[in-house]
Amino acid sequence: MSEAEPRFDELIHPSTRLSIVALLASADWMEFSFVRDRLELSDSALSKQFGTLEEAGYVMIERPVTNRRRRVRVRLTDSGRKAFDGHVAALRQVVATAESASATL
Amino acid sequence: MTEPISETDARSALRSIERQRRSVIAEIDMPTWYWWGMALGWVGLGLVAELANAWISVAATVVFGAAHAAISQRILSGRHGSPQLSVRADVASRHIPALVIGFLLIMVVLTVAIALLADAVGASHPVTIASVVVAIAVLVGGPALMAAVRRRLARDVGA
Repeated sequence: MSEAEPRFDELIHPSTRLSIVALLASADWMEFSFVRDRLELSDSALSKQFGTLEEAGYVMIERPVTNRRRRVRVRLTDSGRKAFDGHVAALRQVVATAESASATL
Repeated sequence: MTEPISETDARSALRSIERQRRSVIAEIDMPTWYWWGMALGWVGLGLVAELANAWISVAATVVFGAAHAAISQRILSGRHGSPQLSVRADVASRHIPALVIGFLLIMVVLTVAIALLADAVGASHPVTIASVVVAIAVLVGGPALMAAVRRRLARDVGA
């Protein structure tokens, strides 16, 4: 996660989307309801965020039918994972730069 | 180069990311039915060992072992404790299967030790007594082992 090229991602950074992508980054896939409940978002608010991320090619939404129940599963795409890793690296770089600047004072 | 955000914002974002990772780690587990299945199987094998002849006991043990091998392949990783997500392999510890198998082997040794002890003191059904005691240990110790794994993984986040 920390070896990626630092690249600040404006799309991921807003707090709600950052939480969504950070959750998805630790899983192969997640059910929509898990993300909704974990982040205490409404269905419509979460759908809107997923819409934005899907449009950017960062997430993939699947609708498998298991035990006759339609489920909605979400997963990060490769480009979404790459963008997230780059964003984390950029955040760490900001912290490291600030720390080294304060150390030289 | 001007940084796009302040250090405070970056730290706050990193803390948020770590929090979400920990909430996924909290889902690492073995299904409850696995521990109940192991405990019931343990008691069943104990009863068979005591009440049936040796060949039936051996056959039951082989069937139990084969059934365990077949169903445990997917769940021993601990990545499918919740039906709502699949935890990534690099988030769950790769040592979980070995820890669970090691725990079960210790339970086997414990079963033999308790059975021998019960037999030595003249108990009428030493193997059944041992299997019931160990079944309870499996029910308590299995989830406790997974909780310890989760605590360890959560502690390592951001370290």
